[in-house]
Amino acid sequence: MKWPNVKLIFFRELRDQMRDRRTLFTVAIMPMVLYPLMGMAMLQVAQFMREYPTKVWVVGHENLPESPPFIIEGELNGDFITPQDARLLQICMSREGDQEFHKLIRQFREQSEMTHAPQLVDQLIQSEMRSRGVDVAVFIPKPIELATEPFDETHPDQQRGSPSIYLFQNTAVDQSRIGAQRIRTALGHWQKALIKETLRENNVRASLIDGVRISEADVADKAGKKAAAWSKIFPFIVMIWSLTGAFYPAIDLCAGEKERGTFETLLSSPAARSEIAIGKLLTVMSFSMATSILNLLSMGFTGLFVVSRMGGTAMGGGLPMVAPPIASIGWLLLALIPISALFSAVALAAAAFARSSKEGQYYLVPLMMISMPLMMVPMLPAAKLDFGSSLIPVSGLMLLLRGLIEGQYSECLKFAGPVCAVTLACCWFAIRWVVYQFNSESVLFRPSERFGVGTWFRYVMRERDQLPSFGSVILLAIVILVGKFFIGFVIQTPLNFGDFAKQTVIILVATIAVPTIMMALVLTRNARKSLKLHRCTLPMACAAVLAAILLNPAFTWFTSLVMYIYPPADDLFLLNETVGNIVSTSPGIWATIAVFALVPAIIEELAFRGFILSGFESMRNRWQAIVLASIFFGITHGVLQQSVITFGVGLVLGLIAIQTRSILPCILFHLTHNSLAVLLSAAEPTVIENSLILKTVLMTTDGVHYQYGMLPGIAMTVLGISLLVWFIRLDGKERPLLGTGVESWIAGFRKSTQPSV
Amino acid sequence: MIHVRKLTKRYTDMRTGDFTALAGISFDAMPGQIFGLLGPNGAGKTTTLRILSTVLQPSEGTAVVNGFDVVKNAEQVRRQIGFVSTNTAIYDRMTAWEMVQYFGQLYGLPLDELHRRMESLFERFKMNNIRDVLGSKMSTGMKQKVSIVRAMIHDPPVLIFDEATSGLDILAAREVLKTVEQVRDHGKCVLFSSHIMSEVQRLCDRVAIMHRGSVLAEGTIEELSDQYDEQDLEELFFQLISASEKQTDAHDLVDTVFTQ
Repeated sequence: MKWPNVKLIFFRELRDQMRDRRTLFTVAIMPMVLYPLMGMAMLQVAQFMREYPTKVWVVGHENLPESPPFIIEGELNGDFITPQDARLLQICMSREGDQEFHKLIRQFREQSEMTHAPQLVDQLIQSEMRSRGVDVAVFIPKPIELATEPFDETHPDQQRGSPSIYLFQNTAVDQSRIGAQRIRTALGHWQKALIKETLRENNVRASLIDGVRISEADVADKAGKKAAAWSKIFPFIVMIWSLTGAFYPAIDLCAGEKERGTFETLLSSPAARSEIAIGKLLTVMSFSMATSILNLLSMGFTGLFVVSRMGGTAMGGGLPMVAPPIASIGWLLLALIPISALFSAVALAAAAFARSSKEGQYYLVPLMMISMPLMMVPMLPAAKLDFGSSLIPVSGLMLLLRGLIEGQYSECLKFAGPVCAVTLACCWFAIRWVVYQFNSESVLFRPSERFGVGTWFRYVMRERDQLPSFGSVILLAIVILVGKFFIGFVIQTPLNFGDFAKQTVIILVATIAVPTIMMALVLTRNARKSLKLHRCTLPMACAAVLAAILLNPAFTWFTSLVMYIYPPADDLFLLNETVGNIVSTSPGIWATIAVFALVPAIIEELAFRGFILSGFESMRNRWQAIVLASIFFGITHGVLQQSVITFGVGLVLGLIAIQTRSILPCILFHLTHNSLAVLLSAAEPTVIENSLILKTVLMTTDGVHYQYGMLPGIAMTVLGISLLVWFIRLDGKERPLLGTGVESWIAGFRKSTQPSV
Repeated sequence: MIHVRKLTKRYTDMRTGDFTALAGISFDAMPGQIFGLLGPNGAGKTTTLRILSTVLQPSEGTAVVNGFDVVKNAEQVRRQIGFVSTNTAIYDRMTAWEMVQYFGQLYGLPLDELHRRMESLFERFKMNNIRDVLGSKMSTGMKQKVSIVRAMIHDPPVLIFDEATSGLDILAAREVLKTVEQVRDHGKCVLFSSHIMSEVQRLCDRVAIMHRGSVLAEGTIEELSDQYDEQDLEELFFQLISASEKQTDAHDLVDTVFTQ
């Protein structure tokens, strides 16, 4: 790559974009004008936003005690309410007709208590309130008098409890809800005063009702409070604008140039494709960063101005809106570089694929939808930066940024390494993708074709290869994931082992086996090769079983390590317990093994070491294929801990599959691996103690739970790894011995489905 | 100077499957000559020229430009050619001067030499009045002039014109044709594709008549006239194309009969 060319292209594109009115408007003019305009509009609207008084209807005010008075001359007693709140409450006293209503409500109240139809009463009251135009109604059915005589069980009056006041509100209407809240506060103060007065009359210390006073204090320093407010908003705003700011220039620089016909001019110049791609990427990145910074500045200044004009606190939350600390701005600018690089590369790759600017615009929404959940993470109060979350792209960076702004350097910088590694890896992949797109003739000169489902299907059938394509592998993975997601809604918690077994088999067959076999038959020319339904030699089969046994300690330790790094949530324990209870109803250990080991081994191997691995293998080198297939194997297991563990197992299975070119050894390995897990959890202590081998290999601290001993475990792992080395040295030289029999069936099926030419 | 051997280009098409845009064409073009590619729309002229300019890669066959292979030494090939096509537009938001300077810099010309060449080319093509005019404000003829100067800025030994006069009025077209002749007279190798007979007849020293991705006939206009006993190029062209169409139809018929 020649950097002078990259520089030349970068400066040209930059100047070109600066001369484009639309881009300038989105990047510079809009943020600088939009926020002040919005701020002004907000101030203007605020002037008109007067709160109107809530009409409160008091029914039965004659039942209120004279002292302390709640209502004085048609207004609430100033002792119980602030003057500001009192102005916003308009009290209406009941008139003659209300006395009738008073009876009506009481009647209905009593009736509803018996008939359990309170809705009827609610409707009646609501219609009555509406007809009088009141928002809140206070109903005092009986004279209020606090009982002061000593408690006497036998006295009938004393069993009735304290007197009540009803407060009717309509929570669907804000005016009513807020009014009711004000009345409730006032009633609370009044009630306290009433109790105090009654106590005083009976010669009891009035401070008794205060009980124990609870004092609160906020010990957060001012800078910390400032940082906390900004740490949640800042990263989000930066991300959103860096994506938006990258997108429009990216479309103009790729799809736009294709449309205007200048792309081919550039392609026929001496500049290499990669130089063009990097030059354009740097341009998009500059605009992404500029948009982000300008938006942030404009928004910040407008925010500060508006808040200072409106009285110091932000609306609603009572958030202290003050200028952010300098350090947090520094961290933000530092984090902006990789964020912009990542988003710019993704946007540029999408834009390179688009034939026209219009088509490019369609890609913005899906891109936003995918990145939005990742950006939202630091806004969640429970989100915390740990090893697990640091590995999630974008989210990890957001959490690190949040921690740094909050000043938790010691906790956060531990995870800076993984976060930077993941972010850089993502950037690298995205940039590679852009360069690939620029090198791909079919992307740059994509003709616009009339699309029809029939034509497309015929095209797929015609173009299908011996092995699955990358697209069909992704399709299968999506089908499996979506299938699992939807089947989750349909299934019910099984009650016994029979139901559980049926359910497990149905789920595996419906979501994995059927799509895999169908796609192998339809989307490839050689289903047998795609599913790796080949024979394997007897030594291979034995080696697979032996490897599963020997590597079991290593996988058990790996599982413990994963559980330590990602402690499972409570509901996972609950799930495990439920499954454990169901398994205890199993008719026998063989049934459990069939459900937990045999069926998953066959079906999952068909999909992951068969179809998906074959697909990746045909386009990547074998190690990359193994890793990619294992990632898919992990993802489909849903639960994070299980995904990580199965990813590890998938690596070994992938290796065996590629080296033996058959899924038979993989099925045997998978079966043995899962069976061992079932057997170890079900093994009786007496069985273990009576067996010489088991006694040597396993150890226990409590006599109930067994685990692998350190030395035997290490010895087994070393032997297991040497078996894997044997597999690596195989390279498919062994002659096949065992047959599967399935291939003849598939060949027959294919013959019958092939169209006659 | 340009040696094309059995050049083939296939695309995958959703509707028809494999589509052969070029079916193994061969020809040679020499310096000081204008080599014409004559053919109806869809004959494969643009695909050939795109391969020669390294924008596309051939499926099979070779093409060598001034000693450099279009696949193995793509960058060197791009330095040997100036490519003007209906698909190589100029930037709307750049002036004529900026545009030419930008490409000159991409070719790695030192700035003083570049400016000297630009002055002389702008003078020669009478473009000094549009030096500071943005691309979006130019007429089609002006744009084409800028494109030609852009393609000649590095003084390449080979110039490729793909339907360079399409969309131009008669005056602008004449000027372009005059330029092409001048370039040839400077000893350059010129590849000129067109579907307009009169242009080809006027300019080209040798002609290849293309149809459906194949070269039907190749030679000087005199040679072709003698060979097919037809003086009028348009008539000759029409005869060749109809003969080829008939042959293809016959092949299709045979194919259909045998498959049935």
